[in-house]
Amino acid sequence: MSDVFGISVPALQAFQKAISVTSNNVANASTPGYDRETVNLTEAIPQSNGTATVGAGVLVAGVSRAYSQAASNQLNASQSSLGQLNALQNYSTQIDNLFGTTVGGLSTTLQSFYSGFSDVANNPTSTASRQALLGQAQNVANSFQNASSQLNSLNNDVNSRITADVQQINSIASAISTLNQQIVVGTAQDANQPPNELLDQRDKLVSNLSQLVGISTTTDSNGALNVFVGNAQPLVLQGQTTPLTTVGNQFNASQLEIGNSAGIQISSSITSGDLGGLLAARSQVINPALNQLGQIATALSQTVNSQQGDGLDLSGKLGANIFSVGTPLAIGSARNTDAVTAGVSINANGLGALTPDSYILSFQGGSPTLTDTTTNASVTPAGAGTLASPYTANGISIVLSAAPAAGDQFLIQPTATAAASLKAVLTDPSKIAAAGAIVTAASGTNTGGATISSGTVLNSADPNLLAPVSIQFTTPPTTYSVNGAPGVAYVNGGNIDVNGWQVQISGTPANGDVFTVTSNAGGSGDNRNALAAANLQNAGVLQNGTTSITAGVSALITGIGSQAQQINTAQTAQSAVNSQAQNSVQSISGVNLDEEAASLLQWQQAYQAAAQALAIGNTLFTTLINSVNGTYT
Amino acid sequence: MRVTQGLDQSQFLAAIQTLESGINLTQNQMSSGKQFTTASQNPTAAGSVNNYTQALAQSQQYATNANSAQTNLNTEDNALTQFQNELQSLRGLALEAGNGVLSNTDRAAIATQAVQIQNSLLSLANTTNGNGEYIFSGFAAQTQPFTLSAAGATYNGDQGQRQIQIAAGQTVADGDNGSTVFNQIKTGNGTFTVSANAGNTGSGIIGATTVSNPAAYDGGTYSINFTAPGTYQVKEGATLVTSGTYTDGSTIAFNGVQVTLSGQPVTGDSFSLAPSGYQSVFTTVQNLVTALQTGVTTPASATSLNNSLNGAINNIDQALANTSDVQASVGGRLNAITTQQSVATSQQTQLQQSISKLQSLDFASAITNLDQQNTTLSAALQAYTLTQGLSLFKYI
Repeated sequence: MSDVFGISVPALQAFQKAISVTSNNVANASTPGYDRETVNLTEAIPQSNGTATVGAGVLVAGVSRAYSQAASNQLNASQSSLGQLNALQNYSTQIDNLFGTTVGGLSTTLQSFYSGFSDVANNPTSTASRQALLGQAQNVANSFQNASSQLNSLNNDVNSRITADVQQINSIASAISTLNQQIVVGTAQDANQPPNELLDQRDKLVSNLSQLVGISTTTDSNGALNVFVGNAQPLVLQGQTTPLTTVGNQFNASQLEIGNSAGIQISSSITSGDLGGLLAARSQVINPALNQLGQIATALSQTVNSQQGDGLDLSGKLGANIFSVGTPLAIGSARNTDAVTAGVSINANGLGALTPDSYILSFQGGSPTLTDTTTNASVTPAGAGTLASPYTANGISIVLSAAPAAGDQFLIQPTATAAASLKAVLTDPSKIAAAGAIVTAASGTNTGGATISSGTVLNSADPNLLAPVSIQFTTPPTTYSVNGAPGVAYVNGGNIDVNGWQVQISGTPANGDVFTVTSNAGGSGDNRNALAAANLQNAGVLQNGTTSITAGVSALITGIGSQAQQINTAQTAQSAVNSQAQNSVQSISGVNLDEEAASLLQWQQAYQAAAQALAIGNTLFTTLINSVNGTYT
Repeated sequence: MRVTQGLDQSQFLAAIQTLESGINLTQNQMSSGKQFTTASQNPTAAGSVNNYTQALAQSQQYATNANSAQTNLNTEDNALTQFQNELQSLRGLALEAGNGVLSNTDRAAIATQAVQIQNSLLSLANTTNGNGEYIFSGFAAQTQPFTLSAAGATYNGDQGQRQIQIAAGQTVADGDNGSTVFNQIKTGNGTFTVSANAGNTGSGIIGATTVSNPAAYDGGTYSINFTAPGTYQVKEGATLVTSGTYTDGSTIAFNGVQVTLSGQPVTGDSFSLAPSGYQSVFTTVQNLVTALQTGVTTPASATSLNNSLNGAINNIDQALANTSDVQASVGGRLNAITTQQSVATSQQTQLQQSISKLQSLDFASAITNLDQQNTTLSAALQAYTLTQGLSLFKYI
């Protein structure tokens, strides 16, 4: 008789527990990180008493959570990738929106600037059109400055988000290590009943951590979880954390990098999660855009200024610079063992070879190597790094203040700050050099049919450029003398190069015919130089002379747009992967209310049945008592 | 697969967000009228639109340039027409002055008219355009090109010629310098010029001069000397070239040139034949005025006047020919501009169409799109509310 009670009472307790577990599932149906729990029922083992052994009822072996390590790992990895793409997308979308389809109006202002030269060419004596051109130059400089300051503010934003991320990563790591300690204790207390709630909390933290930075984990036999970031850099080991730090870049202290607890830079191994996305946004999206803008600004300034220098302004002087750009950056590594400094300049004819990339100049083993940080291509620069013989490569020249120590490194950024530092420096409209530097004439007494071209400037630095020159044909007119110097053989249409200019005389000259080349001072109606400046718009100067400045701007737009589009596509794809991973985790661990409702009914009925069994047992017992009472009364 | 309510919820929200951002994009497209407003929405098209927009702006700038050149060339064309009219009047005066019945006083009156024409010619050569630039002074646009001098006029400009860009790779000159138009004018018949020796005492007058055989004329300088009435010798320096007999109105021919003389040269009279040089039209005019103002006192001075008048008429004809050559070239440039303008107009239309094709929104399809997106969204919302009603708990 007692076995009825012995079976029914534990059964009631077991079903009550099952109802509690189900209620708990229902209660936590919307709790993030909660894993569905189930009661593990097991048969109680009876003591054998002969042949007809009856079972001993039901026992609660434990409460287990529906959890798949594989699915969780998959979700965490996917979240890291998504986090990286989300951060990248955030910045690429901002640049895409800032630049729109005209790089923030840059292509429009550039177009107006070149048109301004055409207007001056149409009417070189008009102060109004010259003044308008200076205004356009100012607009161009402002557009470059705006674009670069917006990009720079994105860089600052990256820095502050890196700091915030590192703080958050460290606080999550320390929470995980605390949970590790509790879980180790909990697991040791009862090997059959894992501390489900603590495990849920820890998994939730790991999941949050994976959004911030890519991680890998291992679980120890005592239940502790070890977390590694980057290249197996330990973040949590059992109950210990080794926090991440932020360190200044070795070349640029204001650019934050990720360091380990010892301050060693580990940025290059952080490639996923929000943190990886921030680093990638800086190196793949923001800085390349800044560098490309700078390349265009450098080319604009150099071509326009050089054209100005080839012509004469209204006062008859060679034109002054319209634009100025700051000197390119060359920064010695903080780890250099000496105080050698580097100076960089863009070569006068180096625009074609100039790239928008940055370089590391290193002296591994004492010999110079220039490594492109974008393509990783290395070249050995020509020259000796001295003022007399600078290192030259890719359109730049580098001069070192002294002989560098072996292992020294310098970051060379030829174009990074050019856009920010582009200024329109010409303020006097009369100083726009619209006129050509020289004017040629045939003497009125010439009797031959030869004509002289209007001439071009080859080298505006020649000190005698504007000095008057007379070219006189001898008798017979097969040779000519220049300023009385001995005869030179006449070639019909051949180049005559004197004092930094070039003219051609063609046709048949007569004995004694004279041609003169003089300064064009007073030629206020001349527009040759303005015309040449207006045509710079279509001149190929970038990429070995294949790309014009305005085409460079278009390419920048297409490049930024393509990159943003590519990141958007990757983000959309990764979102789909991520929701798949979420689905599979949810489908294992999530709470389905209908299922729980059915379970509740099931446990309720089981409880009722067990209670009924108890009641029947009770009735049997009463019957027995009564019949025994009857016998003895 | 097990589906949980939480999963349902988050999937539904994600789907709604995707749909709503799609609607937002379509709305942006419709309010801006553009298919894309950022480069990422269509990078290639954004780059192309940027290129086309630049090409369009450049083409419009070329049109502005062309208008400016057109204005300047029209000014020059008008000035040259008036200049030729004045020269024609002057030529008429020179012919009139050759009438033998006129007195010195009559010629002085003609000279007064000639001086007035001279002033008009000078003022036309100093024409300015709407911007106050002298159109005939080359690059030195702010320097008055011609100032009166004893020998005619001094040219203060230079030999520059301003080019205006009217298309990619195509420029036209928007003017001509005064040296080319008014100074570089061949004398005589353009190949050679014949002049009477100042000391001639006979009545020999130079008539028509022609080049009968351009290959035979060597560009040399010759003198025709009358050794006796009716007998002449042609010499190049001291070398005798030919000799012959002369009657009134006969043509002297040698080395590919022909010179017709009339009247009666006397022994010792000579005429020289030299290759044409250049003479400013203003020198020609000044010479004519001087000849008209010089009184005729002797038969010899009458002959000299006649020779001067004939020479002046020859030179005026050369000036007329030169200015009309320049005018023809101006006309050619104006034609080139007009042609380019019509090319540019169709090019601009083409570019605008290309830009519009790439960038402009097709409203019909955008509205259809929006309609579809709205339908999808409301269907999704409805489906959600329907499924949310389903729960076993309701039936317990």
